[in-house]
Amino acid sequence: MGAWDQRENYVREGKPSYLDERRFTQVGRSVPRIDGPAKAKGESIYTADMVLPNMVYGKIKRCKEYAHAKIKKIDCSKALALPGVLAVLTGDEAPNKWGIVPASANETALAVDKVRFYGEGVAAVAAIDEETAEAACDLIEVEYEPLPVLLDPFESMARASEVIIHENAPDNIMHKGDQIYGDVDKAFEKCEYILEREFKTGRPQQCYIEPMSAVASYDTQNGLLRLWASSQVPHYLHRQMSIVLEMPMSKIRVTLPTVGGGFGGKGEAASSEFVACLLSRKLGMPVKVTYDRDEVFFTSKGRHPCYMKWKIGLDKDGYIQAVDFDNTLDKGAYAGWGVVVMFYTASMVHLPYKVPNARTHVRNVYTNKPTTGAMRGLGGVQPRFAMECMLDELAEMMGISPYELKMKNAIESGYTAINNMYTPHTEYKKCLQTAVEKSGYLEKHGKLPFGKGIGLAGGYYITGTAYTLYQSYKPHTSVTIKVDTEGGVTVLCAAAEIGQGCNTVMAQMAAEALGVHYEDVHVQTGDTEIGSFDLGSFASRLTYGSGYAIREAAKEINEKLKAMAGGVLGCRADQLIIKDRKIYSMFEPKFTIDWATVVQKYVNSVGALIATGHFSPPRRKGIDIITGNRVQGANIGHSPTFGFSCQVHEVDVDVETGRVYVKKVTEAGDCGTAVNPMSVDGQVEGSIVFNMGAALYEEMKFDANGKHLNPNFHDYKCPTFMEMPDMDTNIVESYDPTAPFGVKETGEGAVQPTFPAITNAIYDAIGVRFYEVPITPEMILKALKEKKEKEAGCGCGCS
Amino acid sequence: MFMNQFEYFAPKTPGEAFELMGRLGSKARILAGGTELVILMKDRIIRPECLIDINNIEEFKGIKYEPGKGMVIGATTKIADIQYSEIVKRKYYALADAAGEIGSSQVRHMGTIGGNSCNASPSAETPTPLVAYGATVVVSSATGEREMPLEEFIQGVRMIDLKEGELLTKFKLPEPSPKLVGRYAYMGARDANEIDFVNMAVTLELEDDKQTVKSVKLVMGSVFIKPLISTAVTALLTGQKFSDELAAKAAEATQGEAKPITDVRASAEYRHEIVGVLARRLLKEAFGAAQEV
Ligand SMILES: Cc1cc2nc3c(=O)[nH]c(=O)nc-3n(C[C@H](O)[C@H](O)[C@H](O)COP(=O)(O)OP(=O)(O)OC[C@H]3O[C@@H](n4cnc5c(N)ncnc54)[C@H](O)[C@@H]3O)c2cc1C
Repeated sequence: MGAWDQRENYVREGKPSYLDERRFTQVGRSVPRIDGPAKAKGESIYTADMVLPNMVYGKIKRCKEYAHAKIKKIDCSKALALPGVLAVLTGDEAPNKWGIVPASANETALAVDKVRFYGEGVAAVAAIDEETAEAACDLIEVEYEPLPVLLDPFESMARASEVIIHENAPDNIMHKGDQIYGDVDKAFEKCEYILEREFKTGRPQQCYIEPMSAVASYDTQNGLLRLWASSQVPHYLHRQMSIVLEMPMSKIRVTLPTVGGGFGGKGEAASSEFVACLLSRKLGMPVKVTYDRDEVFFTSKGRHPCYMKWKIGLDKDGYIQAVDFDNTLDKGAYAGWGVVVMFYTASMVHLPYKVPNARTHVRNVYTNKPTTGAMRGLGGVQPRFAMECMLDELAEMMGISPYELKMKNAIESGYTAINNMYTPHTEYKKCLQTAVEKSGYLEKHGKLPFGKGIGLAGGYYITGTAYTLYQSYKPHTSVTIKVDTEGGVTVLCAAAEIGQGCNTVMAQMAAEALGVHYEDVHVQTGDTEIGSFDLGSFASRLTYGSGYAIREAAKEINEKLKAMAGGVLGCRADQLIIKDRKIYSMFEPKFTIDWATVVQKYVNSVGALIATGHFSPPRRKGIDIITGNRVQGANIGHSPTFGFSCQVHEVDVDVETGRVYVKKVTEAGDCGTAVNPMSVDGQVEGSIVFNMGAALYEEMKFDANGKHLNPNFHDYKCPTFMEMPDMDTNIVESYDPTAPFGVKETGEGAVQPTFPAITNAIYDAIGVRFYEVPITPEMILKALKEKKEKEAGCGCGCS
Repeated sequence: MFMNQFEYFAPKTPGEAFELMGRLGSKARILAGGTELVILMKDRIIRPECLIDINNIEEFKGIKYEPGKGMVIGATTKIADIQYSEIVKRKYYALADAAGEIGSSQVRHMGTIGGNSCNASPSAETPTPLVAYGATVVVSSATGEREMPLEEFIQGVRMIDLKEGELLTKFKLPEPSPKLVGRYAYMGARDANEIDFVNMAVTLELEDDKQTVKSVKLVMGSVFIKPLISTAVTALLTGQKFSDELAAKAAEATQGEAKPITDVRASAEYRHEIVGVLARRLLKEAFGAAQEV
């Protein structure tokens, strides 16, 4: 027996192993990450570290004069004349539009005719070194005709008759939509408690440590293009490259070296990648383009600021009856993930509480700022902030604890929302309960001294999407497993390891499914040519998707091995179990043989074992069989399953300086089976600190002309080690029986409750509710002053 | 990102340095830790033709304390050396404290105390306590030396009293009275790598009754073009029995003296608010500490 069998988690007494699909030995181990040692030793190769023979360097000339202007003329002659300069590139040479969502794709490799945000690329240079390339950029002369700059989405809509940002959006609205389920107005009529509030969220960005970098190498002999890039979505990048370069995908190969984080920011192609490829094709030489940090800020696709109007109604017992939600999103300059993010904000209304009637109006509005896009917990963070704060306020109106109100309304396993979203399994109530009990929330809430507060909030997130972004219903993830006597077990999948740990959990799941050890498995990801198909690392989809495909592929291999073993042992193959590197009869221990022996026999007699498994997510939209009508809803927002999280934040507010210190966070999460509990803890702690920054200080700032004021880590403040609160993260017992290995997600669910938990805690501390993040010290002081003045108010002491 | 081409000199003696400076004149910039200079060069705000690296000159480095006479700190002494120096902590506590708040560990091990003052940024950390302790600076050139109070050396935002051919070579701190305590505080959005909204230092000494203020000096940073010495605090507290009310009154007075600006980090109103809070807290803290000595 392996050491893992002593761990109580894995041993469920009284059940023979063949009856217990949950008796895992490899899934559930806190093994160190596959990529850990190389990273710890500084030996990992990132794209920017790569040097190819004859490689030259590309640099992008950016518009630093205007945030909105017509390009009248670009003169590159002086740049070309500079010794060491090999080529220049302008936007009109590659005018095909790219974008992660094909229906709204409107970005070009470099600006064509017009710049729409400060720092947009207008031309590029390839030179023998970066220094020369940079000097050449300075020599490119661009003539602009400035246009009025629209920085605020409401101004953008109001002035659309006068200025438009994109020709095909005459109202400056990228996209809008209404979704109505049930009869909201009628439901409000019957409500006992109704609350209406407006909320606003800020403009943080992902702050991955590794800036974008791309190395492209085009071979003029065979017409093949190789691209090494720091991306979360090798497949979408591959696809978009094919569109912009007008080359078949089969002639392009995308490879990911080590990637230093993404959090959604590398979830679509980047200008650096197109420029590197275009210049390489022009020159027939490898070209590298690496961004400086300010370029990351200029082009980063951070979180959409949202301007939200909410109305929530409860019946006399506190059950939610209706939600009315109106959201205006700040799209920035280009569409990017815009449609998706916008509709996600609408779908987030439907979980994790039962909402029988809901109406959402959403619109995503162009402005002359960097494009907003996918940022960790995409579309969820903003509405979650509002809903969880409002439930806190509603609980107070009712005179009950927010905990009670949330427990009352929380969904249960098997819940189908009014928009047809289906939750196969949830332990959300257990999350609420655990976080509340472990933090002592009920004992502390409302009872701490002035300046100290405790706040509760919950949330959830998807575990993958139901659709591809280009409307194809092919499998979203395919995994090939190869077993032979040379390499052992190799898992091949074109997934993107961006630091989230997918290679490690894929190895654990493959080991589990094949009955070997985690240490026996090699994982090959991040290459569109080597790996089987995968959509990319976003939407917290990979553990579930790859787990499903791994299980399928492994099943095929196991059957072959069992047949071989059955022959050797002289027993029935369907009575054999593979576990702990052994193949044995589930009834008679004497029939046991080493897994490796059977593999050898199989390879010697038949050849290497190879199998591919596929994962296609379930679809919810479709045609009603009886009525023939289309079933509405559950397209954007639906997911195979959902992860849940509850957080209790304890804050100290310095009421004189306005600074908020998050002292302690108690979290309880339902991530299904924790494939690697250590990784889960890392994801959860990271998630909390990620949004703690955006709740309190992270904000991209612009002046009245759209120029960035803080495009560096000195003035854009992320939390540092010094701000790290005390963390108590708890993985609640959970197993989704519909999921491979019972898994869900954990990388994005835990960012959801952070804004409202902190905001509710601040309210508990100082009695002021905020409806806007980041909540800065200045805002705290101002609010305290106003509160004091109000309390002094009529002078009768009635407050 | 890329600096201009420049010629690099690394003199080993003050004589060599002065000779180079005389010869190169305005073409040259002094390179100390480079934590500020190199950034300005990479951002192409400045493009000096020559850099004179003064780190190899032993005479410009180190912390020397002589009982009764005070301390001399060489201009190229690393910030980290000041932060961790036992004698600085004992004699000039607020200076060690402020040094420990600069940037990050990397910045503190590269940056120098001379660079922190020569940089003349209003939010700089160490000039505030140095002025509170009454530090003077020595600027030297081939022709001799000049000595002046630090608050006169720093003239404004990125402006210092340094003539062509002159270098800042050392800081001189007078021997503090045995009962003098110093305290430092700052306010920013976070606790590491922060550019202060406001910083402040107080030195205070009590009479033998442990109640009456014998001397007090409060200096503010980041609220004026250079370190600002509060005259009101000295006037209000000297010779008075310390009380919370008095501290509050003095703190309010500092708000009248500060002339903060609004920038990307904080608004003038907020800084104004914080000046009062820090002043009150620091005065009380210093009083508490002074009662203990
Ligand atoms: C990430 C980061 C964080 C920072 N945080 C802080 C902070 O919290 N607080 C703070 O106060 N500062 C901070 N700084 C600024 C800077 O590090 C300090 O001001 C540092 O003390 C500068 O010293 P230096 O030796 O590196 O100066 P250098 O960069 O070498 O020089 C700065 C300027 O002074 C001149 N100079 C230097 N020495 C002399 C001399 N002896 N005589 C004449 N001229 C001279 C140089 O020519 C140059 O113009 C930070 C910087 C960075 C990069």
